[in-house]
Amino acid sequence: MRVFVKIGIVLGMAAMAVSCQNKSTPNYQYMPNMYEPVGYETYQETDAFRNGKEGQLPVEGTVARGHIPYDYPNTLEGYSEAKVNLRNPLPFDAYRNADSTVTEDYLRKGEDLFNIYCAVCHGEKGNGKGILVDREKILGVPSYDDAGRAITEGSVYHVIRYGLNSMGSYANQLNEEERWQVTEYVMTLKADLESK
Amino acid sequence: MASHYEAPIREPLVTGEKSYHDVTVDVAAPVEGRANKQWWIVFSIALVAFLWGIGCIIYTISTGIGVWGLNKTVGWAWDITNFVWWVGIGHAGTLISAVLLLFRQKWRMAVNRSAEAMTIFSVVQAGLFPIIHMGRPWLAYWVLPIPNQFGSLWVNFNSPLLWDVFAISTYLSVSLVFWWTGLLPDFAMLRDRAVKPFQKKIYSLLSFGWTGRAKDWQRFEEVSLVLAGLATPLVLSVHTIVSFDFATSVIPGWHSTIYPPYFVAGAIFSGFAMVLTLLIIMRKVSNLEDYITRAHIEYMNKVILLTGGIVSVAYITEFFIAWYSGSNYEDYTYLSIGAATGPYWWAFWALIICNFVVPQTLWIKKLRRNFMWSFIVSIIINIGMWFERFDIIVINLSKGHLPSSWSMFSPTFVDIGIFLGTIGFFFVLFLLYARTFPVIAQAEVKTILKSSGERYKRLRDSGNSLVGTAADHRTSDIAEVTKETSSEKLVIDAEKQEHLIASLGRFNPEEDKADDLKKIDGIGPVMENTLNQIGIYTYEQVSRMSEKEYNLLDAITGKFPGRAQRDDWAGQAKNLIK
Repeated sequence: MRVFVKIGIVLGMAAMAVSCQNKSTPNYQYMPNMYEPVGYETYQETDAFRNGKEGQLPVEGTVARGHIPYDYPNTLEGYSEAKVNLRNPLPFDAYRNADSTVTEDYLRKGEDLFNIYCAVCHGEKGNGKGILVDREKILGVPSYDDAGRAITEGSVYHVIRYGLNSMGSYANQLNEEERWQVTEYVMTLKADLESK
Repeated sequence: MASHYEAPIREPLVTGEKSYHDVTVDVAAPVEGRANKQWWIVFSIALVAFLWGIGCIIYTISTGIGVWGLNKTVGWAWDITNFVWWVGIGHAGTLISAVLLLFRQKWRMAVNRSAEAMTIFSVVQAGLFPIIHMGRPWLAYWVLPIPNQFGSLWVNFNSPLLWDVFAISTYLSVSLVFWWTGLLPDFAMLRDRAVKPFQKKIYSLLSFGWTGRAKDWQRFEEVSLVLAGLATPLVLSVHTIVSFDFATSVIPGWHSTIYPPYFVAGAIFSGFAMVLTLLIIMRKVSNLEDYITRAHIEYMNKVILLTGGIVSVAYITEFFIAWYSGSNYEDYTYLSIGAATGPYWWAFWALIICNFVVPQTLWIKKLRRNFMWSFIVSIIINIGMWFERFDIIVINLSKGHLPSSWSMFSPTFVDIGIFLGTIGFFFVLFLLYARTFPVIAQAEVKTILKSSGERYKRLRDSGNSLVGTAADHRTSDIAEVTKETSSEKLVIDAEKQEHLIASLGRFNPEEDKADDLKKIDGIGPVMENTLNQIGIYTYEQVSRMSEKEYNLLDAITGKFPGRAQRDDWAGQAKNLIK
């Protein structure tokens, strides 16, 4: 019997030692040799820079390899100009049909991205009845077939790139190719709405 | 004529007129006596070296392996040299206790205890190096295949370094069990002889309640034989595995199929040398000259000669194969022209002289039976075997396949300090052992006393019977001895005695049972004897004592006046009756 008491004491001590972990703080570590990075991790705080952030802004006017600057300014003139002139450059052979239009694959990617980033307000059909509108969190989301707006490929891209009125820019979430994929998908939604 | 036949050609293994009791007394003497000044001096030196070594180890682990003299070419040097050296030394102990047991060598009995102790202590030293030479020793437990939270990440069983882990840990544990089993009867002997309660307690714990019944002895012998049978392949495999650390590599000079037997032979060679070093000193300081005799030294020297011969043949083989292989790389390696004339020529020639040349002098019987020369040779072999490991490791690493990676190695004070520390630690353990453990397996020596003891051999050779010759008057004539001492007891005043007994009650030997009066605090064997003479035998009688009786008792005995009253014998006796 005394043996069980001893075993109980040892197990109890072990349980007490283990229960020292506090769930609201990171747990104890045994010899954290390479747990903390020596180099700079992307989003870490650092004293190396004045604003305490590791992510620093690039110098104004520099162009990174593989990126083309967007020349239309974030103004009403820029918007009008893009609406008229801007076309999908579609530089990717894989998604080009014989008649230089987009393929099913291209649109499917656009649809996926649209449902992630856009449908929450614009609705999956692009009719301006997204879930946030349903719940009346935001109001005044127009439908893509709104005649007064008469959106074009160029204007859609421009708005995704810069945002317009209540809508913010999605340049951070979507890269150039993805923006064009969404744009093409929006145009099909517009066509669907109009043909109804 | 005695029924036993023992060839008269055999030398006696126990000299002097030793009886069983003499063996006991001689073996127990160092344990029961006090350490002399020399012991304390040597112990202090060893302890200082040990502490210095611990300091160096802490420094290494807390600062990094870079404090050693290792470089990118020579990644193993003193650490693994010392590891292999200590493991090698350890092998003689098991060889003596296991292999010689299987071969029924009686002379092992006087040396096996110390040889096994040497094994345990040197394997402990060896075991330090695999840990401390790690870059991150606190993760050493990763070498064990323990289920874990890394998706049960396992060890790779292909590495001889992992085999080392299993080999060394198994070797240490089996050796320890083997050693301890053999110690049980001897600890029991010390327990039974212990006078002070503390010693008695300690040795009763250590001896696991050994009572020496026939059944116990029968099983003891079986276990010893089984363990010897297990330990023998262990001796061979452990150092084989250690040799695989090198033999399985692609380093020229390391990659060699001769290594496993050659390392084992070297291990026995160096181990026996260390046993000799220790025992030649121990027989003197512990007064065991009658048990560790010239014959023992000679036998060990013969084993050294044999294994030294095997090692020498291995050197020649290596040398020959290096030439015979036609491999250019072998030219620069161990035991080839490059080693003999290269930058480490001194280490190479130290090896050849210490291991190849000097031990050959043992062919001469006079030198083989000479204590002084055996001692010197044993030390030289220990040095030579250290150089052997050093040469194998460092010479071969320093000049590998790519000349652009060739490099020299020189140790730092930390390398040297840790080595000295392990030597210190070894001697700390061994010196403590020599003062607290029965350094000779007395139970085993007693089994060969009549067959190989000098006295009995003489009696047998002269045709006398051995009947009754083992009797020792110190152990066999107890009755006589006690009669003598008890006869010189006090003269009792009859009147006072009558007075005392009248008030305490008379003891009737036919009806009453005598109690153990010694249980009363203040009554020793002498006082009990005195009380018995007066006629006081029971607690009942003692419990009736009051001041008057105490005074009467004091008047009769004339000893320790007031003692009985102070200790309150009556009160104690009352408690004992309950």
